[in-house]
Amino acid sequence: MMDPLLMNVAMIPAVAVLGIILGLIYKGIDRRLAARMQARIGPPLRQPFIDLKKLMMKENIVPKNAVSWVFNFMPVVALASSLMLLMYIPFLQIPAILAGSGDLIVILYVLIFPSLALVVGGFASGSPYATVGAQREMVAMLSYEVPLAITIVSIAWLMSMTGSIGTAFDLAAVSAANIWSLVGPIGAVGLLLLLVVLIFVTTGEMGAIPVDAAEAETEIAGGLLAEYSGRNLALFYLTSAVKMVALGSLIIALFLPMTPVQLGLVQAGNTGMIANVLCFLAKLFVVVFLSSTFIRVAVARFRITQVVKVYWGYTTLAALLGLLLVGVDILLKVS
Amino acid sequence: MITMQKELFRQLFKRAFTNQFPAKHAPKSVNALLEAVGKGKAKLNPPVPVPENFRGKIAYDKNKCIGCQLCVKVCPANAVVFKPKEKKISYHTFRCTFCGECVNVCPVKCLTFTDEFLLADYKKD
Amino acid sequence: MLEKKKDADGDTSYSISVGPVHPALKEPVKLNMSIEGEKVTGVDFELSQVHRGVEWMGTRRNPIQIMFLAERICGICNICHIMAFSKAVENAAGIEVPARASYIRTIAAELERIHSHVLWAGVAAHELGFDSVMHYTWKLRENVLDTIEYLTGNRITKAIVTIGGVRRDIHEKQVPRLKETTDYYLKSFDKLGKIFLKDPVVKSRCRDTGILTKKEALVTCAVGPTARASGVRKDIRVDETYAAYPELDMKPMMPDMVTGETRGDVYDRIITRLLEVKQSAEIINDCLNQMPEGKIVYEEKIPKLLAELKGVEGEGTGRLEAPRGEVFHYVKMVGEDSPYAWKVRAPTYNNMLAWVPMLMNEQIADIPIIAASIDPCMSCTNRAVVAGKTSSILTQENLHRLSVEKTRKIREALK
Repeated sequence: MMDPLLMNVAMIPAVAVLGIILGLIYKGIDRRLAARMQARIGPPLRQPFIDLKKLMMKENIVPKNAVSWVFNFMPVVALASSLMLLMYIPFLQIPAILAGSGDLIVILYVLIFPSLALVVGGFASGSPYATVGAQREMVAMLSYEVPLAITIVSIAWLMSMTGSIGTAFDLAAVSAANIWSLVGPIGAVGLLLLLVVLIFVTTGEMGAIPVDAAEAETEIAGGLLAEYSGRNLALFYLTSAVKMVALGSLIIALFLPMTPVQLGLVQAGNTGMIANVLCFLAKLFVVVFLSSTFIRVAVARFRITQVVKVYWGYTTLAALLGLLLVGVDILLKVS
Repeated sequence: MITMQKELFRQLFKRAFTNQFPAKHAPKSVNALLEAVGKGKAKLNPPVPVPENFRGKIAYDKNKCIGCQLCVKVCPANAVVFKPKEKKISYHTFRCTFCGECVNVCPVKCLTFTDEFLLADYKKD
Repeated sequence: MLEKKKDADGDTSYSISVGPVHPALKEPVKLNMSIEGEKVTGVDFELSQVHRGVEWMGTRRNPIQIMFLAERICGICNICHIMAFSKAVENAAGIEVPARASYIRTIAAELERIHSHVLWAGVAAHELGFDSVMHYTWKLRENVLDTIEYLTGNRITKAIVTIGGVRRDIHEKQVPRLKETTDYYLKSFDKLGKIFLKDPVVKSRCRDTGILTKKEALVTCAVGPTARASGVRKDIRVDETYAAYPELDMKPMMPDMVTGETRGDVYDRIITRLLEVKQSAEIINDCLNQMPEGKIVYEEKIPKLLAELKGVEGEGTGRLEAPRGEVFHYVKMVGEDSPYAWKVRAPTYNNMLAWVPMLMNEQIADIPIIAASIDPCMSCTNRAVVAGKTSSILTQENLHRLSVEKTRKIREALK
């Protein structure tokens, strides 16, 4: 038998490659569906792979007034951190590679890294468009961080109030507990609200329209990414693909963790495994469709001031309301 | 308030509006596709048919031409050039703007419109 | 591209340039902006990035040739230029256009207005980051383009107007298709209105954005929908008699017809243009009902017409309402094959000045939609180019002095 530690180390590249491939496939589906909603045909499903291949072959241009080592280093940081995110998220209730006590908090921190790398890279590229984009990205980051934190905290609180204080911030424990079973009808409404909030936060994390002020093509010509080309741009492209999978899986692990085998729909074993995987892919598809595809074709772009208003105002309020409902539910149960 | 969103959802399950000419997706190699079409192995989607009296490529009947040069005079793009030796004209499609003034002015109707509009080519004539 | 300046208060302001090539601009123009944070504090723009020498080419061609050259001044509103030029020549030569031809000209012009405004609606949606609406409106636009092709032989350049009339008649069997098109747009008008005017995000982006007050509109000489959206009741179709408009019952479309107030913002400009789509469809219906029988052109034989035009001496002007505003053509004929002078003023030339009050104190995010809200058309506007480096700028004083000198010279020559 292999040492479990070695086994885990061996799993890391496998998960990374799987995450990238899955991300690119979902990007293809996302583009295709967006096109269909706009009555277009859209690119073939393998288009993201073609794009990636082309970007990898292109020249990597570094602007004259850029800080070149930061400029070149940040794409690597972004991709590495988003891949790291994958290592913390359990798929199909199999514990994550780096799973440990309090990993939900780590995820909160690691989530900031790719965006932060974009901001630093934008500032380092020395273009006015990238500078404006980087400023906007920072503001956007600050604003969607609040509802995200509230959502995570309310789930942890729910966990701790229902008896698992020690493992409140352990994603694997949350995932195994199936939070819907811990609450009554009022709490379920609250959780639903939190799920919607988390999906909308994902839109912000993905930088999709309506909250893509940092990249706004028609306003600041791609903003943060204005000066990036070739391999560096390809790395950012991969980052966004991986982030999509990671965030989708996070939502699934938090809110929709049940697998067909657990629900008793299919017997465990090989068929059960296949059913689990298919179910996971379907759940991921729904989350991606709601958080990215549909919203980005259905709404116009917000100004950065409106982004702040929407996240700090309405979304935070919704998250707080969700927290309140969950709290009321728990108190009713306790008393 | 949600008119557009409803419309988008409807369109998701409808056929795409795009006219799929000449192929649904860009082929790997255009030349290879054209070769395959030439051999009858592949098929191109047909373009949208043109209406009656379409202003397409102009056909020139050399035998009817009497060399009156009226078309040379009215052509805004100098696409019609007179050949003094033969007393005929030569018509350059690549300069033509398809206004059709030469067709109107020709006294013997040796210039006529055709339905042809796919005129991109490597060669100048 | 980026300059850092410190003003007297110690605030740092950046100057950022949008263009000449920028994703928000469909044609080259350079907007130089001073920025403080996200706020625009200074606006200037540079033109003449796409000078094509159209007028110069015109003075080397005969009027029949110029017609088609004029049509290529603008891709979108091509019929306005060919019509304005024809009007100018007709004015100079004293040619009268037959009644039926006037009606056909009106129909063609209104079809073009529909196509131009729907196209603009798509561009505006794209600038707002709402690409789905862009695809949707452009899908709507296909109908009118196909009808134009059915009527004139090509989708964009119609080439239907000629000096003294039109080149193609509208036959009885073509009328049902035209009616179908107008019905289609009258029907989709409601939907377009809902999509643009009721969408909360679009409304929040456009309401009170890029305000041009009535006074500013008058000072900057704004024309067309831009002026009407600010409450200036100005429409050449009503103010001046041309084509079949005097015989139709119509009035300028103002935004307060829908909202009951005029704010002069981007939202009002959207309303004005959408209303005009409906109005155009109604005008076409009226024209089809009222159209008299008769000749469609003053002189059918082109060589004869050319010979007649060769003898003309004098000046003529053509003025009409393009989708974007007033188009003005001036022609001077001196009894030669080609005119001595031909001057064109496209509506964007006036409307661009309105950018300055509109963009002041707005956010960077709103620059694209405000710039697009006047429906700018750069290559139509560019009539001059500055070649090489020049340090002298003609101010109003200089120009006044020069014109006084010129008048003196002419007076001396006349003595």
